[in-house]
Amino acid sequence: MSVSREEVLRIAQLAELDVDEEGLPTLAEQMSRILDYVAQLSAVPANGTVKVFVPGPDAIRFRVDEVVPSQLAFGPEDFAPDFKEGFFVVPKLGQFE
Amino acid sequence: MSDAKAVADRLVKAKRLNALLTPPKELRKSLNTQIAAARPTGVLYGMPVAVKDNICTLEFTTTCGSRILEGYRSPYEATAVAKLKAAGALIAGKTNCDEFAMGSSTEHSAYGRVLHPLDKARVPGGSSGGSAALVGAGALPAALGSETGGSVRQPAAFCGVVGIKPTYGRVSRYGLVAFGSSLDQIGVFGRSVHDAARVLSVISGRDPRDSTCEDRDPLRLPTVPESLQGFVVGLPKEYFPPELDPAVRRACDRAIRMMKELGAAVREVSLPHTPYAVPTYYVIAPAEASSNLARYDGVRYGPRFNGATDLRSLYRSTRGQGFGPEVRRRILVGTYVLSSGYYDAYYRRAQQMRALIAQDFRNVFDRGVDLLFTPTVPSPAFKAGEKLADPIAMYMSDIFTVTANLAGLPAISLPIGRVKGLPIGGQLIGQAFLEDEMIEAAYALERVVPATDEA
Repeated sequence: MSVSREEVLRIAQLAELDVDEEGLPTLAEQMSRILDYVAQLSAVPANGTVKVFVPGPDAIRFRVDEVVPSQLAFGPEDFAPDFKEGFFVVPKLGQFE
Repeated sequence: MSDAKAVADRLVKAKRLNALLTPPKELRKSLNTQIAAARPTGVLYGMPVAVKDNICTLEFTTTCGSRILEGYRSPYEATAVAKLKAAGALIAGKTNCDEFAMGSSTEHSAYGRVLHPLDKARVPGGSSGGSAALVGAGALPAALGSETGGSVRQPAAFCGVVGIKPTYGRVSRYGLVAFGSSLDQIGVFGRSVHDAARVLSVISGRDPRDSTCEDRDPLRLPTVPESLQGFVVGLPKEYFPPELDPAVRRACDRAIRMMKELGAAVREVSLPHTPYAVPTYYVIAPAEASSNLARYDGVRYGPRFNGATDLRSLYRSTRGQGFGPEVRRRILVGTYVLSSGYYDAYYRRAQQMRALIAQDFRNVFDRGVDLLFTPTVPSPAFKAGEKLADPIAMYMSDIFTVTANLAGLPAISLPIGRVKGLPIGGQLIGQAFLEDEMIEAAYALERVVPATDEA
């Protein structure tokens, strides 16, 4: 299968990622190759009888439901790009299509 | 116990490798402070341990090898780092890595590629290439890395050092920057099995801050065994294909012979779904990455890139300029396989295949096999630039390592020989939470295998 230029742009939009015009053909070509390569997984029976494997503990461990203060060495004012009076500052929302 | 100046001097001497991201002056200053505060009764007192740059530290920046986190200082530290410090270890700076741990050569770092310690034209492997190169160059006894698909074992094999990937859930992921959450584990590099194992034992164990970390005591170190009597070692035939590099095969054959001489029973086994492991991984890992990396949007951490007139263009321009090509590619592939209309064909199939791959291992272990022995990587370290233009060729470097991540199993790579001076790694894959058995066998093999001899 091949991924078109338009499809790359659509996916990039979903991923909130700018892609530059000149890089588009290479990106489309590489994505097509990767998706072609992983398409060999269609050999797996799709009958849904295979139980999904999840590593880690079998059951969720519950802990006591109490508020524990976060132990941050410093606050967001020291690591956020723009933080004022307890808020992360962002440009105006603009048009969300 | 080592003094801070000697530790820093050794690291600064290895500067040409571009393996350490921490500037020398900052490193010296921090080591002086740390050594004064280190607990003299700790089991790792004075041991310098460098930390991959995707593991949060309070002492140094945490950039994940990315521009999008340039200069970022974490307000908290990883549990693994806190445990190291509590044991008296010194955090000896942050190591260069593929951006967000995505890569197999440490060429995908925004801060330049890492050089192989024995041949500067070659790659040290990746993504934890900085940690592997520093231990391989003798600058450190041990370092932390992280694994999602082989990012500790593959560079360990390339650089001629020991690399351990613990069972999923053995070590807390708190403070490890998330890439593929169902696969990620912090791993350890060491000059020897013992160096790696004792660091692993310190960082392992329960952590209330990570619900995927098992409620278990820290790993207890086994003693060095006299023999491998009683061990049944399986050789999965899928890991010894006809096209395997002949020198890698010779080194493996020699190691297998030695395990037999030590008394191990060796038998051929089959893990039939192995050929699907890399494609499975390259659906699941990018899918999880596309979700995990959504948080880097220029609002909360790291730098913000200019040119944004509204919120959405802030997201897009920050992410477009902040992420490098491999990360962008994986975010796009991950978004694609999770998008409407493709989910069943890709993601669901990959999840099913992952279950079959895990079942392959259970079948073999249920039939009395204790451990599996395989080559770690199909070939020795490749040349820089050789696989950069071809993502699939790069991905194939993980072919023998991704399976343990998909199945959540522990595995260790140790040097078993060389070809034209370049190290070759052999891998032992163990059963979940039986790292002690795996380490025991690695101790025994390490004692007899001529790790620096030509195969």
